[in-house]
Amino acid sequence: MVLADLGKKITSALRSLSNATVINEDVLNSMLKEVCAALLEADVNVRMVSTLRTNVRSVIDFENMAAGLNKRRIIQSAVFKELMKLVDPGVPAYQPVKGKHNVIMFVGLQGSGKTTTCTKLAYHYMKRGWKTCLVCADTFRAGAYDQLKQNATKARIPFYGSYTEIDPVVIAQEGVDMFKKEGFEIIIVDTSGRHKQEDSLFEEMLQVSNAVTPDEVIFVMDASIGQACEAQARAFKEKVDVGAVIITKLDGHAKGGGALSAVAATKSPIIFIGTGEHIDDFEVFKVRPFISKLLGMGDIDGIIEK
Amino acid sequence: LFSIFSGLVGSKTLTRATMQPHLEKLKELMMSKNVAADISEKLCESVAVKLDGKVLGTFEGLASTIKTTLSDALVQILSPKRRIDILRDVFEAKRAARPYVMAFCGVNGVGKSTNLAKICFWLIENNVRVLIAACDTFRAGAVEQLRTHTKHLNALHPPEKHDGRQMVQLYEKGYGKDAAGIAMEAIHYAQEARIDVVLVDTAGRMQDNEPLMRALAKLIVVNEPDLVLFVGEALVGNEAVDQLVKFNQALADNSTTENPHLIDGIVLTKFDTIDDKVGAAISMSYITGQPIVFVGTGQTYSDLRNLDAKAVISTLMK
Ligand SMILES: Nc1nc2c(ncn2[C@@H]2O[C@H](COP(=O)(O)OP(=O)(O)OP(=O)(O)O)[C@@H](O)[C@H]2O)c(=O)[nH]1
Ligand SMILES: Nc1nc2c(ncn2[C@@H]2O[C@H](COP(=O)(O)OP(=O)(O)OP(=O)(O)O)[C@@H](O)[C@H]2O)c(=O)[nH]1
Ligand SMILES: [Mg+2]
Ligand SMILES: [Mg+2]
Repeated sequence: MVLADLGKKITSALRSLSNATVINEDVLNSMLKEVCAALLEADVNVRMVSTLRTNVRSVIDFENMAAGLNKRRIIQSAVFKELMKLVDPGVPAYQPVKGKHNVIMFVGLQGSGKTTTCTKLAYHYMKRGWKTCLVCADTFRAGAYDQLKQNATKARIPFYGSYTEIDPVVIAQEGVDMFKKEGFEIIIVDTSGRHKQEDSLFEEMLQVSNAVTPDEVIFVMDASIGQACEAQARAFKEKVDVGAVIITKLDGHAKGGGALSAVAATKSPIIFIGTGEHIDDFEVFKVRPFISKLLGMGDIDGIIEK
Repeated sequence: LFSIFSGLVGSKTLTRATMQPHLEKLKELMMSKNVAADISEKLCESVAVKLDGKVLGTFEGLASTIKTTLSDALVQILSPKRRIDILRDVFEAKRAARPYVMAFCGVNGVGKSTNLAKICFWLIENNVRVLIAACDTFRAGAVEQLRTHTKHLNALHPPEKHDGRQMVQLYEKGYGKDAAGIAMEAIHYAQEARIDVVLVDTAGRMQDNEPLMRALAKLIVVNEPDLVLFVGEALVGNEAVDQLVKFNQALADNSTTENPHLIDGIVLTKFDTIDDKVGAAISMSYITGQPIVFVGTGQTYSDLRNLDAKAVISTLMK
């Protein structure tokens, strides 16, 4: 499934290191070529791939390297480190606190899966005993409130929204205030889809964020996205305080490499992945086990030198 | 000064070796603009094949010759072999006293319903009456989304502006029902009510989801729409290839006739969100060989354009 093809290709490229009798520049280059091709086919940002190539190359100096150093190991560990950088920004995501209000705001491009994922996240916490609710602050998309309402009703999650109020800031504020008063612990705010090219939409997002002062802003990204991801993700991060990423639609064929650029651009970890349209098609995402599984390598902590 | 000249004058035979660095650069350029990796590779290969062994004229530069050859190949890809003239075909169908049927399909969230509404607006502006068939009976709010559009469109084009005729109606049967059946009823309804066009909205589906792909193929086989439009977003990366190949494959596999009805054209959406990363236009056209019939450039009804192939190519090559 997720990035699995990519994992296979990278593992096989790395194996070429083990199979080679001598590790020289040619072996390194051809291994890197394979790794980079696999990453590009998976939509990883072209610039990030080229940085990875440079960084791995620079760890090894064939001319002046002391004999006896394990080149294989140095190269492998450099590749792992670079791959880790793609997936792991090295900062933890916000952890909701029991018995407190935790306001979580969803943002992202049009159609990325925000509304669907809001309900999935709410359901995830509800099943674990949290007092959970949803606020629909999308007054733009036709049928947006009905969508959230139908999802929430089916999952028996309390919700707030309006058919008549057109200002999302007002709804967000009212909804969050109301649920806070009622002692809800997880208050999830769904917002309209938007893109960086339209200033007014970005300004609106900032206003909603200022109104509800979220504890966490989650950026939702479609797994099939290509090279446009990075610039969009960076723009979202610059406008609001994105702290986590959710990648959706990983039940498809997409390898999700494009969406990985969102990690670098927002310096935020992936916390969940969406794997279908149903409410429980949702998985917790953990970076390190993910990478080790991806590369079929067992425990990577042993491989990467600290 | 002399050394500069010597690079330019004198004829040169092109070889793969001399072209290689230039082709690598162009391939990377195309990928960075979001053309699928595989297609970037194939395009560069086609340029190499075409130029290998050719002799460069005295004043032709190597880089510019390669670039021009690639541009020409891109023009080819984006030039439709067949023009789709919807309005003409709508009037032809009208003369035959039957509704013209368009079906919209694609993966989740790409903009099928929104661009269906934009196309509906465009048809109404051309004085064509439309029935929207709500055949996404799965996704929460899908029916209400179309009902809202129908209301807005009728408000923009009230009967007073059109000889007392209501320009757009919604045919819906709620959720959970068989999509192919609803499409069929809608087409019958349109026939009887003498409505010119039926726009069939379908649920988004992943190309690997076999039951859902089979259901879509059935909808197409049973209802024989005049035009099957694949809606794809300009944001999509390498996945564009797999989506189109598998949608076509599903239509072919589930057809009983010798000439299965495949994708006729593409609606390329969210073109306003990608800056210069225009490559999806190339990937989608390359795979299907079908024209990009509409380009979606925003979220309002008027954000619908024709593809400007020249602009796409010059953006791509920059
Ligand atoms: N297959 C699959 N479909 C998904 C997943 N997540 C969301 N979807 C579908 O993607 C489409 C868009 O989802 P929405 O939740 O409406 O997206 P959104 O970001 O709220 O869209 P806007 O509010 O218009 O910006 C719907 O058809 C969802 O059912 C997923 O993980 N897998
Ligand atoms: N910026 C931009 N947004 C668009 C465009 N076309 C559609 N959208 C937005 O994309 C989101 C999803 O659009 P829908 O029409 O619901 O997509 P869909 O393919 O019908 O989705 P499902 O039925 O859930 O699979 C909405 O927020 C639309 O407003 C476009 O050309 N540009
Ligand atoms: Mg939404
Ligand atoms: Mg739809």
